[in-house]
Amino acid sequence: MGREVSESCIDSLLTEMVSTYCNRFYANKPELAARRIEAIGYQVGHQLSERYTLERPRFSDHLEAIKFICKDFWSVLFKKQIDNLKTNHRGTFVLQDNRFRWLTRMSIDLSPKNGASEEASIMADNKGVQSMHLYFPCGIIRGALSNLGIPCAVSADISNLPACSFVVRIKA
Amino acid sequence: MTTTACFIIVSRNDIPIYEAEVGSAAKREDAAQLHQFILHAALDIVQDLAWTTSAMFLKAIDRFNDLVVSVYVTAGHTRFMLLHDSRNDDGIKSFFQEVHELYIKILLNPLYLPGSRITSSHFDTKVRALARKYL
Repeated sequence: MGREVSESCIDSLLTEMVSTYCNRFYANKPELAARRIEAIGYQVGHQLSERYTLERPRFSDHLEAIKFICKDFWSVLFKKQIDNLKTNHRGTFVLQDNRFRWLTRMSIDLSPKNGASEEASIMADNKGVQSMHLYFPCGIIRGALSNLGIPCAVSADISNLPACSFVVRIKA
Repeated sequence: MTTTACFIIVSRNDIPIYEAEVGSAAKREDAAQLHQFILHAALDIVQDLAWTTSAMFLKAIDRFNDLVVSVYVTAGHTRFMLLHDSRNDDGIKSFFQEVHELYIKILLNPLYLPGSRITSSHFDTKVRALARKYL
């Protein structure tokens, strides 16, 4: 089961999806657009996790499921594993990917034009757009973990690109 | 050789989302209700047993007269339960694995709400064909 698609198709589809939801469907309502994109990611993650756990034995605890996400699931989706997994042993996990595939094609540095204030506002705008693109992978992780029986909240942190951290907070 | 067999799929919320009598014996009205009753009663046992092992196929977990209940649990905690009178473990395991693939295809349908009843007649036909092949 499962045929292959080209990576550029996926990149174009994701870019277009974020752009459509932000600029056409929910223009001026970024929170609603973000929630819709995250909901799409939730359903996709749900389906993908069901598909990729077909062959393997089930998970005995939360850590096993998170490790599955970091290794097998991430390799199938992004052809690499999560580079760093941190936990506080109280239900919070930080998954760090040093080179997140879907952000590699996005520009990260800006030539400083006129004045520090303008650069700061451009930077803030850029971060806003980039964070929009991260709602989909957050949704995928949340959907996959929910299907494996772990209700959680996932947020992304892009303080240093192209590395990207996903913070998973398990609901007690 | 006529076999009695009743197959149900129970979602993670303990709601049956699919049921079918797949045996080759003649269907009797009271037998159908009895089969469902036995399968639902076995759910508690499945619940306890599912946490003790990481395998997907839990073999025969309960008996009633000469009928045996076998269960297969997926990673998403969806249970496939089969009530049967034969002893063909390998055939039953293959049956469960093929139904699991069919179930994943149903899940991949974006218009299917996970946890709702499976109403696709195509799915029904395929499950009955698999039952004739493996059971």
